[in-house]
Amino acid sequence: MDFLQTSIDGLLFGSAYALLALGFSLIFGIMKRINLAYGSSLLFGGALAVWLEPIIGWGAVGVFLVTVLGAAFAGIYVERLCFSPHLGKTGVMASMIASFAIWMQLDEISSQLLPHRTHSFAGIDIEAVSFSGIILRGDQILHFWVAVVAIGALYWTLYRTRFGLLLRASADDPDTAYLLGGKVARLGMATFGLAGVLGGIAAFLILSSDGQITPHFGLWSTFKGLIAMMLGGVGSLPGAIVGGLLLGFAEAHVTFYLGAEFRDILTFGLLLLILVLRPGGLLGEAIYRTGRLAAERI
Amino acid sequence: MLKLTNLAKYFGGVRAVDGLDMQINKGEIFGLIGPNGSGKSTTVNLICGVFPQTAGTIELDNVDLGRLAPHQRIEFGVSRTFQNIRLFGDLTVWQNLWVAWRDAPGHETSWLVNWFGSPADRRHEIQKLLEFSGLGDRADRPASSLSFGEQRRLELARAMASKPKLILLDEPAAGMNSEEVADLRNRILTMKNLGMTVLLVEHVMDLVMSVTDRITVLNFGKPIAEGTPLEIQNNEMVQEAYFGSAKNVEAGN
Repeated sequence: MDFLQTSIDGLLFGSAYALLALGFSLIFGIMKRINLAYGSSLLFGGALAVWLEPIIGWGAVGVFLVTVLGAAFAGIYVERLCFSPHLGKTGVMASMIASFAIWMQLDEISSQLLPHRTHSFAGIDIEAVSFSGIILRGDQILHFWVAVVAIGALYWTLYRTRFGLLLRASADDPDTAYLLGGKVARLGMATFGLAGVLGGIAAFLILSSDGQITPHFGLWSTFKGLIAMMLGGVGSLPGAIVGGLLLGFAEAHVTFYLGAEFRDILTFGLLLLILVLRPGGLLGEAIYRTGRLAAERI
Repeated sequence: MLKLTNLAKYFGGVRAVDGLDMQINKGEIFGLIGPNGSGKSTTVNLICGVFPQTAGTIELDNVDLGRLAPHQRIEFGVSRTFQNIRLFGDLTVWQNLWVAWRDAPGHETSWLVNWFGSPADRRHEIQKLLEFSGLGDRADRPASSLSFGEQRRLELARAMASKPKLILLDEPAAGMNSEEVADLRNRILTMKNLGMTVLLVEHVMDLVMSVTDRITVLNFGKPIAEGTPLEIQNNEMVQEAYFGSAKNVEAGN
């Protein structure tokens, strides 16, 4: 029964990791941009929400909206400064280093917004549900459904709208898309904004579940998102979801059976193991692509 | 309509295009021919804005294209196919056309509608392009699964999807067998009947001579002749550029 309870807790928390990983996968995998400031833009959203909470009122709803919009705004800001097509010409390295600088900047701004290091973050009070010995925390059930809706909306956007089609085409072959008149600049901004929305939702779910925010959240979410993305396979959206759920599942079990101090080391161990066995991640395309490239060259 | 004045492009010391004057009128199928390396593809790339010209001007409907970025030139009505086919292989035939689709110049709708809507009249336009390309029954197949000739046809239809004023065809018959070339000829003539203006860069002489209204011949980046297909075929300088001097041809025979 403990095992079942821990598994469910882990998977429910993992749904927030899945959202984080999807945001990473959009930017790193699909757009192929190395954006080091992604975690910090989520922290910025959270910090801004805490700072504005007394002004706006609205409780958890206001915090949610500000977190999501703040993260999306920070994402677009990063794209304009570091990754806009004009600057893209200077190369991947310049963009990456520029995003490192913005990481520092966003972290500093967030620290200024959160002067006491640890601040309480609006939690959601919903009664727990229990049936046949399993207890489901109300906020975790909400997390799960928010994640399901967000993932559904993402898939709809990517696979059912022309925006998603243009995005996939320009990710597939940016030069041709540009020569066909794709508004690559506007697409880039929209994608970074979209990744910010996904990450902002994830940040709100995680922070409200913890009930607090610290300036370390940026780095923390970068680690978690990267690990979840790599577990599932870079560039694979189903992979990001599976990776996030797996990460939540593994963390919950390690914490329950071995203690919280073993959590990170075993998570990294799991990542190492999977990358050794399947270098592209669980659902990644690395192996398949290498094979196809080899076939094309023959 | 399209007017090139003293157009030049140097790559270091190589004069790829060197003082090209050319004018294409509306509704014309215009041929640009010349031996390998004579600057034909460079001219196409200059018109599209792949790289900037060294000197001279490119004007379309009296607007200086030289100042516009490639995507702005497409908005203004320039469209092209590529020498090496550049379709989005993972996307379906339908999606390849839908990606390139755009509002007619001057009738743009908001980007929100363009990104999130797909009204019936647009689907109808894509359907017509599918019929033009003869790929109606393969609309949901990935582009990479098509045969070579079919991919060429899809690229042709994709170039029309942006409702261009001018379509640049960069060696559309390259690698085609004679049957496929005959099919391409019919499609280009259909485009002419639809009132489209086409610049055709091509090596397959049969095709060029049978569909074009006028032709410019390039050699070493310079225009050496201009005229109707018949005039070009009888032009001695052209024969020399292609085959060496007449005496050599006789000697070769």
